Amino acid sequence: MTPRRGFLRYACLAASAAVLVAFAACGDKEKTGDDGAVVHFWQFWDLAVIQPLVDEFEAQHPDIDIEVEQLTWATGLEKIQAALASGTQPDVCELGSTWLPRFSYEGVLEDVTPVYEAERDSFLMWESALWKGRVYGLPWVQGSRALFVNRSLFRRAGLDPDQPPQTWDELLHAAEKISQLGTGIYGFGQNIGERYVLYKKFMAFAWGNGGDVFDESGEVVLNSPAVLEALEFYLKLAPYSLQEKQEVLDQYFKTGRLGMQVSGAWNLKNYKLEAPDLDYSVALVPKPAPDHGAHASFAGAEMLVVFKASPQKEAALQFARFLQAYPQAKKLSLAAGSVFPAALSAMHDPDFTTDPRVRVFVEQSLTSRTTPAHPGWIEMEEAIDRAVEESLYGRRAPRWCLDEAAREVQEIAARFQR
Amino acid sequence: MTNRRRFVLPPVAWFLLPWAAVYAAFFVFPFVFSFVLAFLDYNPLNVANTRFVGTANFARLFGDPAFGGALRNTILFVVGTVPVTTALALGVAGLMRGKIPLKGAFKAALFLPSILSVVVIALLFKLFYAPGGALNQALAGFGVAGHGWLTDPRTALPAIMAMDVWAAVGYYAIVLDAARTSIPDSLYEAAELEGAGAWATFRHVTFPLLKPAIAFVLVINTIRSFQVFVEVLVMTQGGPLGSTNTLVMYLYDTAFRRLDYGYASVVAYAVFLLSGVFSIIAMRRLRPETAEGRPI
Repeated sequence: MTPRRGFLRYACLAASAAVLVAFAACGDKEKTGDDGAVVHFWQFWDLAVIQPLVDEFEAQHPDIDIEVEQLTWATGLEKIQAALASGTQPDVCELGSTWLPRFSYEGVLEDVTPVYEAERDSFLMWESALWKGRVYGLPWVQGSRALFVNRSLFRRAGLDPDQPPQTWDELLHAAEKISQLGTGIYGFGQNIGERYVLYKKFMAFAWGNGGDVFDESGEVVLNSPAVLEALEFYLKLAPYSLQEKQEVLDQYFKTGRLGMQVSGAWNLKNYKLEAPDLDYSVALVPKPAPDHGAHASFAGAEMLVVFKASPQKEAALQFARFLQAYPQAKKLSLAAGSVFPAALSAMHDPDFTTDPRVRVFVEQSLTSRTTPAHPGWIEMEEAIDRAVEESLYGRRAPRWCLDEAAREVQEIAARFQR
Repeated sequence: MTNRRRFVLPPVAWFLLPWAAVYAAFFVFPFVFSFVLAFLDYNPLNVANTRFVGTANFARLFGDPAFGGALRNTILFVVGTVPVTTALALGVAGLMRGKIPLKGAFKAALFLPSILSVVVIALLFKLFYAPGGALNQALAGFGVAGHGWLTDPRTALPAIMAMDVWAAVGYYAIVLDAARTSIPDSLYEAAELEGAGAWATFRHVTFPLLKPAIAFVLVINTIRSFQVFVEVLVMTQGGPLGSTNTLVMYLYDTAFRRLDYGYASVVAYAVFLLSGVFSIIAMRRLRPETAEGRPI
């Protein structure tokens, strides 16, 4: 063997070893610092939004070092799953309120019931962290959906823009009037053909009418008369509605071709930038009748959880509570412009009650609902989506669709009873 | 050297080692691991609770209407795109035989979709199919009413299939064109002397000699089409009403949304077997033949 070939041989071996070591290193993470705790925090916000809060906490707690990692909505859940499977999960993590119940159920989250008991009345959205009488997450920021009303189209249709629809009848009437303005102009927007969205809009009407997915005893009541009535009303809106994906509906509203839609506060920010001249207002989601039902809507929350396996639970919980506290949640909400603090203090803060549109969102969250805190929710929402979609496409009678969805929800619930 | 009989790795093995390490980590290991998973009830949030369930995950396949729907949609996708793409690619490759101006630019333009990320193409087509998108605007120019291409369960899958054909034709046309240039001109001259027309030339000269390349195109495209996923994830997420739910989309949902990794692995192996069977059929049918028409 010549020395030269020997060298190449070792170089290749070294390269292979380097490749393997690099893989091994991916999962190997420093858990503790030399002079105090290192808390790993995974979250979905832009670092520009979150970093100031982290800096503030680190300045107050020189012994705790926060390592922030930004996840994306497209792959974040997968990354958290992989981390849990390999034991490399962070200490503190942001989780969406519809994902949280599965994590609570699997027993990977630290029980924060004591925090709940102390802070129960200061925050909204605790329900989504509840599982079998214990609480597994801290409500951080929340966002509900409210009725967007195009005032110019209202005027053109002979409607009073200062009197947005309060009831189902008024909503239907306004939608019909606006849709008569001409082709390409729609009275109302209905979500179709995509995930995560449809049930949020439909359930607003079902909840407002006293319907629900489960009753208090945990029985499935998705095919109750109250839900059926809501679905039948939703179908009445269909002839005057643009049925499209959320981004298309938001786009149509922005360009003044959609009279009304139920959507989220992200539009306030976008419309301010992209359509400063758009004359619109925000109203509570209409209720069934003046003397019946409620202005219900869907609300989702970003929750903060501490993983049970964290070696830094105390510091982790301290950091999570710091973020959850009103001043921090407020800073985050104002910087992000699409959410509101879960803390009830926001209800009386001029920063959230001066702008009439923002105030409606804050008000709407008081009568909004979270999705049931069930570990099988991700599958259950698909069943609801399917029922509404099948009815909207006219494939099946609404009653049949709801019976079928109720049966599916029942089946999913049964799988999680172990 | 004293111990001559010691096993010595040939030099080439040392050069292959870095690649082999990556291959083992990212292909062999997941391949074996997912086979093991197929027999387990495994969920990454609760690894400690992993249970051996025997062939229960396999049995579920047969009574699962969602899998049935995904299988149907995937086969529709494969059967509806692969032959069309191949035929169009053959046609385009045939055009390139003639003298066309700016042939280089034409080839480059054809190949362009292949270097774009599928996500980019899918996002562009989402805009293209949108209510106010280019397609509906063009149709409006002819007085045809707009259509929600991706929100209508009848048109969503065909819309994605059309996009796939558009994106794939160029690549396969280049492959077939490269194969065609290896056919000796003398054969075409002979065909011309015999008085063969364009179709007869294609039928008796080009097609038989392109068979291996066509087999390659069919096999590669079939395997790729069975795995159609990113397009669906970006454009429709399997909807509306499950009309674009494909096998890999279903696999993805089963694993990453429902955390049912065992069953998802079974679906993965179903995709593997199906694309294998289709590829073998394609290769057998397009085996190069001897002059007497027997397979070589």
